[in-house]
Amino acid sequence: MLRLMTSDGRRYFDEIEVGEEYESPGRTVTEADIVIFAGLSGDYNVLHTDAEFMKSSIFGERIAHGLLGLSIQSGLLTRGMRPYATIAFLGLRWKFKGPIKIGDTIRACAKVIGKKETSKPDRGIVTLSRQVLNQRGEVVQEGETDLMVARRS
Amino acid sequence: MTETAVEYFEDVVLGRVHQSPGITLTRAHVREFLGLGGDWPDQTEGDQPVPDMLPLCISSGLGFRAGPPLLVLAFMGFEWHFLRPLHVGDTIRSRSSTVTKRSLREGGVIVEARDILDQRGEVTQSGRLTLLIAKRPPTRP
Repeated sequence: MLRLMTSDGRRYFDEIEVGEEYESPGRTVTEADIVIFAGLSGDYNVLHTDAEFMKSSIFGERIAHGLLGLSIQSGLLTRGMRPYATIAFLGLRWKFKGPIKIGDTIRACAKVIGKKETSKPDRGIVTLSRQVLNQRGEVVQEGETDLMVARRS
Repeated sequence: MTETAVEYFEDVVLGRVHQSPGITLTRAHVREFLGLGGDWPDQTEGDQPVPDMLPLCISSGLGFRAGPPLLVLAFMGFEWHFLRPLHVGDTIRSRSSTVTKRSLREGGVIVEARDILDQRGEVTQSGRLTLLIAKRPPTRP
């Protein structure tokens, strides 16, 4: 019976344990990714679009938008874990620690660091700590995300 | 004085509120964002909500249509709250102001408070972003 109730394959608040870790496959960030993100977001900052200007910057070349890296991280981690029965993405605290350059291959790691019950008995808040690493193992982004996850009734 | 294509740390006025123009969220935005990030929802048929991160990404570009953008040297970090879901057809705009600014030797750090409003003027997402901004280069004699 229990099996039937969770046959959608999603994991509920009750089943998720603090300390669980997830790791994603890698993805190479391309120039096309950056161009598409600039067009979609409208963020044409020289950091991401002007190769000549960036030659003389501390990065030496164009870098990916931070929010592009964050968006790719989200998709990568989904491929590295069974989905939660998520009701809502509540928020995040995030740091951009280093550049993601064209050709870098990034992957995401995450760990459950907190579970909190709420006033509503049918749901709880799960906090994940997440890191984005490049091909050299350097942490280029990291932070925490809060998800509202359904409880099994 | 020549007009510049960008604004610098020295141009930032604390507390001045910037309202961006609006943009209507379309299925094309959603489709393109899902393809780029790869975080496809379980359900891809029927009425789809707008991915939470998409309005945040678009809000970064909205400011570019409102006047010369700040010359950002680095996006250092942010905290963000998703308050209400948005749907295809909703029109968003951003409202932002600088709440702190701190001068460094190379550039300066600002904290920007940003809200994303929908067509009813309700705040749908909100947070604070920390940015490293370039200082105005010395003028040549």
